[in-house]
Amino acid sequence: MSDKISLSLRVNGASHALSVAPERTLLEVLREELRHTGTKRGCDQGSCGACMVLVDGEPVFSCLSLAVTLRDREITTIEAVEAGNELHPIQRALVQHGAVQCGFCIPGIVITAKALLDRNPHPTVDEIRHALGSNTCRCSGYARIVEAIASLTGERP
Amino acid sequence: MRYAEPETVEEGVTLLASTEHSRCIAGGATLVAMMNAGHIAPAMLVSLHRMRELFTLTESAEGLWIGAMTPHRVVAAETRLRGSMGVVRSAAGQLAHPSIRNMGTIGGSVCLADPSTEMPVALVAASARVEIAGPNGRRIVPIEDALVDRFKTSLGRGEIVTRILIPRGVEGAVGHHLRFSRVAGDYPTVSISLTLSMQGDRCVHARVVVGSCGPVPLHVTAADQRLIHSVLGEDDVAAAGQLLASAASPLDDVRGSAEYRRMLIPRLLGRALSQARELAHV
Ligand SMILES: Cc1cc2nc3c(=O)[nH]c(=O)nc-3n(C[C@H](O)[C@H](O)[C@H](O)COP(=O)(O)OP(=O)(O)OC[C@H]3O[C@@H](n4cnc5c(N)ncnc54)[C@H](O)[C@@H]3O)c2cc1C
Ligand code: FES
Ligand code: FES
Repeated sequence: MSDKISLSLRVNGASHALSVAPERTLLEVLREELRHTGTKRGCDQGSCGACMVLVDGEPVFSCLSLAVTLRDREITTIEAVEAGNELHPIQRALVQHGAVQCGFCIPGIVITAKALLDRNPHPTVDEIRHALGSNTCRCSGYARIVEAIASLTGERP
Repeated sequence: MRYAEPETVEEGVTLLASTEHSRCIAGGATLVAMMNAGHIAPAMLVSLHRMRELFTLTESAEGLWIGAMTPHRVVAAETRLRGSMGVVRSAAGQLAHPSIRNMGTIGGSVCLADPSTEMPVALVAASARVEIAGPNGRRIVPIEDALVDRFKTSLGRGEIVTRILIPRGVEGAVGHHLRFSRVAGDYPTVSISLTLSMQGDRCVHARVVVGSCGPVPLHVTAADQRLIHSVLGEDDVAAAGQLLASAASPLDDVRGSAEYRRMLIPRLLGRALSQARELAHV
């Protein structure tokens, strides 16, 4: 049995008082305690990117992050990307370019792309591809995803 | 499982030394993946996140000391890593992809000692030294002495890597890292880190290290010697590459067979050397 640890996590601007076992990952806490199920669980190994969230604005695999290590950090999940019922431009572009099929990978891809564009509003296509190296999509392929993101930067793939 | 977040290295050492099956956790990139897969279940985790000293970078006459908890992303942006020290910056900027570079730390890379990763390779090329704190105080060892086998370091119970020194190296030298992977961002099939210095068109210093080709980064002094005083012509590169390839002991895996890896070494060496010469403008 693990000791439970009391901690407060800041997720999408709100503080949550929690009591969690130290081996619990942020992914488990988001999905099971906070019911933020937009963040998906794929591989649990850092290989698929479905679980991507932002920690202090940087993309991080929530499946590889222990919740207890993230006190005092600003966590942003897919739930906070849409503003007032308006899709984020990245989300709109993905839909418009037909880059979405089952959508399992999309929360992670939106988060990864958002981190990239927030830091570098005009990435090259190579930079887009490289940033998305952490994200696997099993059904729609990558060409349209890259096209969609490049359409926001004025780049042509 | 127990968990602790001590604020000093000394407290961390005491905790680690007093509990069997305890581990420290840095970025967690590999450690948490192993826990998720059920490969390890430590009795206690000692987090390094609150140990401020592990996050500091300090410049000295010898070079740059990089705190063990510095993420690869920060190393990749560190402009003080120039000249031959730049090999470490070059590797940090290329390894995996941005999300792993955010999480993985330089100390984590050393302690993981995974022969398919690249930071240890760059650190050997840079002749880095590692400071280790333990129950009997601190010691500083060459990186080669810290990396002893696949996933195995010379660290004893209760020991923590606190910082890593990147020495200034040879005046006028450049450092460069080249990775070859089937898919960008995947672990490399083979990687090469080197430091190089030219006088006119003659090589006056070379230190070449190969990754993913043995239990620890592969450095063959005879291969360096074969390049030094040469003009780095095709024959010189082929001969040095051959020395490295025959000393290599790669494994077969999904990223390439052992034979394929051996064949890649001379090819990548030539490419790495010419890219490094471009950096040096010679
Ligand atoms: C999907 C994926 C892709 C990757 N691709 C690449 C790649 O292409 N190239 C590459 O080079 N690497 C790659 N990596 C490996 C990555 O570089 C390592 O995961 C990372 O460097 C480990 O650092 P960490 O801080 O996360 O360590 P952790 O996972 O926290 O720890 C790793 C081990 O080191 C120990 N440890 C950590 N810090 C210390 C310390 N200061 N003192 C003593 N012991 C310590 C821990 O107890 C643990 O045993 C990849 C990893 C993943 C998950
Ligand atoms: S679930 Fe985290 S990377 Fe796949
Ligand atoms: S749309 Fe189905 S996994 Fe990407």
